Amino acid sequence: MSMTLKARRIDDVVILDLGGRITIGEGTLVLRNQIHKLLDAGDAKFLLNLADVDYIDSSGLGELVTSFTTVRNKNGQLKLLNLTRRVRDLLQITKLLTVFDTFDNETEALKTLK
Amino acid sequence: MTAPGPRTFALSIPSRLEEMHAVHALVGEAVKEYGLGEELAHWLELTISESMINAIQHGNCCDPAKRATLKISSTGDVLEIIVEDQGNGFALDTIADPTDAANLLKPCGRGILIIRSFMDEVDLTRSEGGGSRLRMVKKISRVNGQ
Repeated sequence: MSMTLKARRIDDVVILDLGGRITIGEGTLVLRNQIHKLLDAGDAKFLLNLADVDYIDSSGLGELVTSFTTVRNKNGQLKLLNLTRRVRDLLQITKLLTVFDTFDNETEALKTLK
Repeated sequence: MTAPGPRTFALSIPSRLEEMHAVHALVGEAVKEYGLGEELAHWLELTISESMINAIQHGNCCDPAKRATLKISSTGDVLEIIVEDQGNGFALDTIADPTDAANLLKPCGRGILIIRSFMDEVDLTRSEGGGSRLRMVKKISRVNGQ
């Protein structure tokens, strides 16, 4: 199963609901293109909902980092929501938990993006 | 007459990422044959995938004339995975630490770390053909296949 992505908006925050497998190739390109498109349209606050992501490889992790730095370089914010245990384990192993703000509750996450 | 041992799984693919579907399929077959649990299967697929992508991209520089090979075997409670490429070789200790603060925001370089975190043994040598030979060992519990 490849990656799925749906965008929704709450006030000025874009929530990207990701699902499936974020892997080298198509999955990472879809995310990258969506972030660039939204940044170009003026969006600056992003919440990546990973609740339905059941597989992510090192390229997928790299794309999360690239998304984070791309948004930050435009003075925006990108945070992570609903990490599965396996994704959290990978972020722990790679110390990326020290890079990202992560949340288990969408409302709480949105409050920090006001 | 002794019963046959567990099957060994092997494939050899041209160095194109589009060929990775065959790797995932082979891992799935091995997981089924060896009766491995879902958790172990997940991490096995991830680490084998990482090692084959390394062989294709970094070992063989995506040259489709060069092949990446994979062998998965099981002896009792141990899985052995061997990945070989036909590149120029590299040393594990020359890879930058992706958890170092200077590297944390780099988009790549985490594959070997993920492999090392899951496998019980990881060693890299020169293969007979001159490329790299990555040997990984995972000890498994037969209680729950994890």
